[in-house]
Amino acid sequence: MLEHQLIQSTGFHNFGPDGAREGFAVRVRIPNYHGTRLSQLDGFDVTVDGEFFSFEQNRFRIRNEVYTLEEMREAVEPRWGMFEYGYILVDKPGGLAPGIHKVEVKARIRYSYFPPDVHIFPMHAERFATICVA
Amino acid sequence: MAGKFKYGVSTYSYVDDYGTVMTLEDAFDHIAGTGATGIEIMGEAQIEGYPKPGNGWLDTWFRLLDRYNLEPTNMCSWVDMRLTLSHSLTIEEGAAELERDLRLAHQLGFKFLRPKFGVLSHDLIPDPQWEAYTERNLDLADKLGVIICPEIHAPTPINHQVVDGYIDFIERTGTKNFGLMIDTGIFQNVPLTHWGSHQINDEARKHMEFLNGIAVNPDEFLDVAKYVVFIQAKFHDINDELEDQNIPWKPVISAIKRSGYSGYLSSEYEGLRSPWRSIDQVRRQHALLRKLEREYDEGLFA
Repeated sequence: MLEHQLIQSTGFHNFGPDGAREGFAVRVRIPNYHGTRLSQLDGFDVTVDGEFFSFEQNRFRIRNEVYTLEEMREAVEPRWGMFEYGYILVDKPGGLAPGIHKVEVKARIRYSYFPPDVHIFPMHAERFATICVA
Repeated sequence: MAGKFKYGVSTYSYVDDYGTVMTLEDAFDHIAGTGATGIEIMGEAQIEGYPKPGNGWLDTWFRLLDRYNLEPTNMCSWVDMRLTLSHSLTIEEGAAELERDLRLAHQLGFKFLRPKFGVLSHDLIPDPQWEAYTERNLDLADKLGVIICPEIHAPTPINHQVVDGYIDFIERTGTKNFGLMIDTGIFQNVPLTHWGSHQINDEARKHMEFLNGIAVNPDEFLDVAKYVVFIQAKFHDINDELEDQNIPWKPVISAIKRSGYSGYLSSEYEGLRSPWRSIDQVRRQHALLRKLEREYDEGLFA
């Protein structure tokens, strides 16, 4: 099963070639009380130790498929279930230093049954998480 | 003569615990452990592989129903009106979403399907296309023996054009396969203190005024009772003295009993999402509701 917190401890890691990291990944469970089409998500803002990374640039990976924001917005067939985790992929040359970081995620969830002006509804989570390997 | 209630639990009660500290079988165990006879689920949550669960999951589902002696009550579904940022569902597409979930609900043994329609306003007026895509599915619902029941949920009160619209639809079509689901959150008359895993701050309260409760008079239930087919017994916090902090259950139970309603009260805990808290909160609600039903039946209150 997944961890109770939205942001998972396991799965927080740097990606890219060893010695030339391209960024870091944050593993999350679905920021909702039910599964949805990917098109019902409108990206994730990420802030690490105060440094902000916009939802417009961050990508999303689930089941080995990677989506840009534009691709996720049109993804009406692929779905994200309750027992699955996904990764927010954040570009940051060099990656994050090993150690403990303060990680904040603002997931932008779309609800058709919310009024139009608030139908993109933010779910915010934050925690300390640990990068094990440079 | 008042009917006897049937008691159920919605897996919505276990949000955040489900999938993290609770499996599907755990949920069955907790629900059956309350003495409930019915299980309500959210289709795209408990059904792995939704909308086409594999045989392995289907076998598990029917095995658990049998083992824990629970009947499927209501399945919650969503009609993703705003399918993408640039495309809203057509009537044909909306009808197809509803058909997909009707067939799935029937396959799993559910008698009720609650579709969440897209809305256009802050008092939750649904996209007018709901009527067309629902009407196209009435024959199928009849064939499958499933009743479609949108929920009346805060901030929409009973005396409102949303409810009038649904009742007009029932009267116009004469259908037996469409009814109202009442979410007892509409009777909440004391502000909530928590939403999800957070304490409610002033900012959230400003944006979501319904968190303070819309305090519908419970007796208004009697005005629409003939159309009500299912009740989600929404609640948030029951203290150590078995007192609900937000929902005035005594007059609510009185009104429901006086209406003669004999369907399900399906628990929907929506309080603080702290791990495992929901489990005993649901048990407390069952103890409370059963106590009130017994006292009403014994004439201890009217």
